[in-house]
Amino acid sequence: MKNLGEIKDLNQRLHFFSAINDSAKDAARFSVKDNICVKGFEARAGSKILSGYVPPFDATCVERMAKKGYNFIGKTVMDEFGFGSFGVNTDVQARNPFDEKRVAGGSSSGAAVATAVLKDHIAISESTGGSISNPASFCGVVGFTPTYGTVSRYGLIDYANSLDKIGLMARSSEEIRKAFDIIRGADRYDTTCTENGITDSKKKKLVVIDQLMHGIDDGILASFEALLAKLEGMGYKVERTSLDFIDKAIPAYYIISMAEASTNLAKYTGYKYGRQLDAFTKKYNEFFTEAREVFGMEAKRRIVLGTFVRSASVKERYYTKALKVRALLANKLSELMKDAFVISPTMPIMAPKIDEAAELPPLQAYAMDSLTIPPNLTGLPHVSFPYDYLKGMPVGAQLVTTHFNDYALLDFVGKWEKSFDYKFKYNL
Amino acid sequence: MKIGLEVHVAIPTKSKLFCACSTSADEPNSSICPICMGFPGSKPMLNKAAIEYALSVSAALHCKTGKATSFVRKVYFYPDLPKSYQITQLQDAIGFGGYVELEKKKIGIRRIQLEEDPAKIIREDNYTLIDFNRSGVPLLEIVTEPDIASQDELREFVNELRSILYYLGFDIEREIKADLNISVADARVEVKNVNGIRNLVDAAQHEIRRQEDLHSKKQKIVAETRSYNEKTLRTESSREKESDEEYGFIYEPDLTVYQIKPKKLAKPIYAGIIARELAGGTGQLKKTVLDLIQFDSRALELFEHARGKWPLQSIINVVEVLNKYGAKDIGMAHFEKLLDVARAGTPISKQVLEQVKKGVKVEISEVSSAEVDREIKEIIRKNSHLLKEYEKNPKVFNFIVGDVAKKLKANPKEVSERLRGILEKGFKG
Ligand SMILES: [Zn+2]
Repeated sequence: MKNLGEIKDLNQRLHFFSAINDSAKDAARFSVKDNICVKGFEARAGSKILSGYVPPFDATCVERMAKKGYNFIGKTVMDEFGFGSFGVNTDVQARNPFDEKRVAGGSSSGAAVATAVLKDHIAISESTGGSISNPASFCGVVGFTPTYGTVSRYGLIDYANSLDKIGLMARSSEEIRKAFDIIRGADRYDTTCTENGITDSKKKKLVVIDQLMHGIDDGILASFEALLAKLEGMGYKVERTSLDFIDKAIPAYYIISMAEASTNLAKYTGYKYGRQLDAFTKKYNEFFTEAREVFGMEAKRRIVLGTFVRSASVKERYYTKALKVRALLANKLSELMKDAFVISPTMPIMAPKIDEAAELPPLQAYAMDSLTIPPNLTGLPHVSFPYDYLKGMPVGAQLVTTHFNDYALLDFVGKWEKSFDYKFKYNL
Repeated sequence: MKIGLEVHVAIPTKSKLFCACSTSADEPNSSICPICMGFPGSKPMLNKAAIEYALSVSAALHCKTGKATSFVRKVYFYPDLPKSYQITQLQDAIGFGGYVELEKKKIGIRRIQLEEDPAKIIREDNYTLIDFNRSGVPLLEIVTEPDIASQDELREFVNELRSILYYLGFDIEREIKADLNISVADARVEVKNVNGIRNLVDAAQHEIRRQEDLHSKKQKIVAETRSYNEKTLRTESSREKESDEEYGFIYEPDLTVYQIKPKKLAKPIYAGIIARELAGGTGQLKKTVLDLIQFDSRALELFEHARGKWPLQSIINVVEVLNKYGAKDIGMAHFEKLLDVARAGTPISKQVLEQVKKGVKVEISEVSSAEVDREIKEIIRKNSHLLKEYEKNPKVFNFIVGDVAKKLKANPKEVSERLRGILEKGFKG
């Protein structure tokens, strides 16, 4: 890359890359979130416990991009294993290019920053409960999370397998569409990935769910109303509706994601890959307990809670019930979206300052995902797109549609982009 | 007394349950990949051949199978488990509610499930080695109802089960691994990880004796997990206390629910039932036949070929001889010759076997049954005292047989069968 030096300098300040591919070519660049494997590059997923893990294989999406001539330029930083909404739950914290004292969002923090500072670049990122929409919105880029099961997860270091979706960030819907067509489609290495035909069923109606509009920052609320007015001007019909049940989404999401995460994190025992201990004289229980000390606080919290909610005596009350909530909510939302998109702001707040975010109590931090969790929990495709700048910071809106109608989202953003000017501070 | 079993057998697929690695590598840690090592980023992909084997076993054990089957994660920390969870089955296991038919009763099969084998742990004096070649090998776990009531039944059950598996293509040379549940009184004691049939029967014997002893002394039998020590021949209380509470089963989110399509399955063979049919009963003769065919498909082929056309005893004789000389691959035409030789009462020596194989004619004295009958009746008529003596002294029977066989150069066994028939019909001379 011609501007490799500049990128490295900026990375010193904004911390978006955890590794840079020095030999990458200039054109058609793509970056990869650090929880997705690129052969020969350390994959830490933001965790110290994976220090030194160099996967011997490429993730399917990485292999497919490379085959089509895209050039891998680096791994992007993230919250440890995706556990976070602000990119602060890790040792290297990305900074927002619009205001370096503020967070970039999370957990795909580095991916969003990279997209906001690099031109001609696609970020392969991943969302479990909002990890694409959230940072895309804070950093003013387009963040697309496809229907669960359309992009192979082979090579993704698991957070919660039934919720994890590999998706994309870019500076336009057009670039996303091109990359989406490359990485999607059945893969024998991921049983849950299917070859479903993606549709482009355009909707003229936009539904705003009342319950999602509670607790939203006043400034964001006002600008969102202005967005709706503009969209009405473009010919869309806006409708308000109530969906009580959507309040169950956050608890159901955290129960399922923590239950699965606690099983996924069990494999890190300190002797096969990643952080390795020499203390082979210890008994196994003491040995792996020592290895696991380096998990961050949020990872430890999710292991403990996740182990609890799936233990036999309470499983029915938590885990099994959460699965039922997920199925029911998917039905209710799909029903609601037969002839409409669901639209909302992406985040209820503006990007907070880094030190504020780091001190947020867990329950308040989890509440920040109230808008991104419903589609993520139910595997529905969604896209976050920038629509305004408040006090110099970008704000994003999130559009949701029915399963496999992914193209319709990109089509919508494409139309919106015609009357919207993206602003970027850097164009490296 | 109630004994239940959980038997683990390796499914004879070429590749592992969730990856393409071979199941038959010798050099330690040579058949491994990111999937069976549980590397971050890897995902399981289901080996459909393993499902088919499992379905065949399920049908052979008369189990019911649902429309779909699914997997769960069983979480526990042990160095042989690369992911620290085992992918196994629970609610939607492959089969439910079947049975295995023994001579006198049926043993219920509660559940049949597919799961991955952990790696192999090799313990040395002051270090431990792990061979991941075994990690991910498909296993079938067969769980019985506590229907087994004695060690004899235990042995009979295990052998019948192994025989069924053998005829479905399983490698029964691989040691069988099992957990035993034994309750002499009320408390259920689990004896975990017993390897091999002999150890299984021994472990059961020792555990039964231990429980009976406690019971007779009116001491409490603790419901617990024990292990069998092959050296001391005793079961010992285990310290591990894992329970379903801690396993924290969740469904396996990396594998979708697998839809089972109706398919033609391998036809099961029940050696016990076949042996009973051939022998026409359940006595020593059945046992002899069963010993020959239980784990020997070629022997079964030979029996099926000759069945009804030659006397059973002749078939047994020839198969035993062929076993002795390792010659069961003999062609059917030659096999038939040998059966003729056997029926005529000529002992089959190695020389006779070679002659038949080379197509050299073997001199056999053909004696018809009618001739034998005539001679028997003749002797009885001439020596009318024989019948009276026979009532007091059964040895007279053998005297008559010997006499006739010698005179006609006939097979003594055939002569004795004819004689018995004649006496049963009430022949009085
Ligand atoms: Zn493998």
